[in-house]
Amino acid sequence: MIKRKIFHYTPSEDERESACNSYLMSLIAGILAVPLPIINLIATFIFYLANKKNTYFVRWHCTQALISQLSMLIINSIGFWWTISIFFNSNGASITNNYIGFIVVMFLFNLTEFIATIYTAIQTRKGVHVEWWFYGSLTNSIIKPKS
Amino acid sequence: MKKTIYQGLIIILLFCVAWVSITKIDLVNLLKVEELTTETEEKIGNILFELFKSSNQEIKDPFIVNTIDSIVSEICFKNGIHKKNIKLHILKKDEINAFALPNDHLIIYSGLIARAENQEELIGVIGHEIAHIQLEHVMKKLINEFGLSMLISMTTNSGNGTEIIKETAKLLSSSSFSRKLEKEADMKAVNYLLTANIDPKPFANFLYKLSMENHTKTKYMSWINTHPESKERAEYIIQYIHEMNKENNDYSQIISNQSWKELKQELFKLN
Repeated sequence: MIKRKIFHYTPSEDERESACNSYLMSLIAGILAVPLPIINLIATFIFYLANKKNTYFVRWHCTQALISQLSMLIINSIGFWWTISIFFNSNGASITNNYIGFIVVMFLFNLTEFIATIYTAIQTRKGVHVEWWFYGSLTNSIIKPKS
Repeated sequence: MKKTIYQGLIIILLFCVAWVSITKIDLVNLLKVEELTTETEEKIGNILFELFKSSNQEIKDPFIVNTIDSIVSEICFKNGIHKKNIKLHILKKDEINAFALPNDHLIIYSGLIARAENQEELIGVIGHEIAHIQLEHVMKKLINEFGLSMLISMTTNSGNGTEIIKETAKLLSSSSFSRKLEKEADMKAVNYLLTANIDPKPFANFLYKLSMENHTKTKYMSWINTHPESKERAEYIIQYIHEMNKENNDYSQIISNQSWKELKQELFKLN
């Protein structure tokens, strides 16, 4: 699911730090604003914009962090609004097996993403290039090295 | 790019397969979710009833209680409702009011019985409140207003429980359900009455009559104040009876006219 790859150049200390921060950003925002799934995405997006003109290594990791947050936003938003509708009983929503099942899977996906984020943050800080399954190849097709 | 799309589809598929697989386990039962909801409802119902009982005397007169109980029992029996679940309480208060509390508590104020001109009017109102109970409107309303977590915390000793309990009691006894839920309960009440072969027209008349009453009396007319579109409701009930084409002149009564008179006399004596 996670591939450690050799980057075509050795990132500098500043680049490693910025790339690592792109992952940490989503974690910190996530801890501060647990119930609101959009906060993680906003934090990662702001960091992405701030590093848009940075080096390839930094842009690449900011993009991977951003798109992973984007997909998590979809799942977490469904879970969040589903929970709200149960709490306020709108349209007769109640706790069902479907709801519990969704929350369990949502939790597992979030946990996987959380572990992957921590691991990647540590590795990028060391200058190791880490590509996630799907997100890595998607990032490769979005971000190209400046010629 | 093709590879990326496939990988994305695999992630979506993985999510769906995991979700479907987990839903196969009956987690609602396993986690005792329903038990928790029922337990919460029971606790809230009992707390609220104790609150009403502390400020209003509960009428225990066997004749009054048995007469009203026979009305409730008959409606329940004819409509396949478990009477055992409904906890009937008659409280001594001049207000024209009746309302349902969580855990199937049905509260009727003596003012309502005294104000009803005939048993059908009272049966209509009782039917309406039983409908709220049967359609689970009470808990729906509370969850809408306070949220499930607040209700659960109300049943524990933590937090500002007392204030919330007072607010809840006020909400249930002095404010109406949504227009949709009120209409639903009205229609259900008419159906209950028709199934029990009770004339539902006096129920509509009761609503109409109270909506026309002088506003100076409104202090004692909680049930009508909490059901603001009474005139409109009376109209749609009459229309519904016509639509059901159930008009007949062979309606029966649950209690005899003599018992009805005695009931009123007993209540008068209590006052």
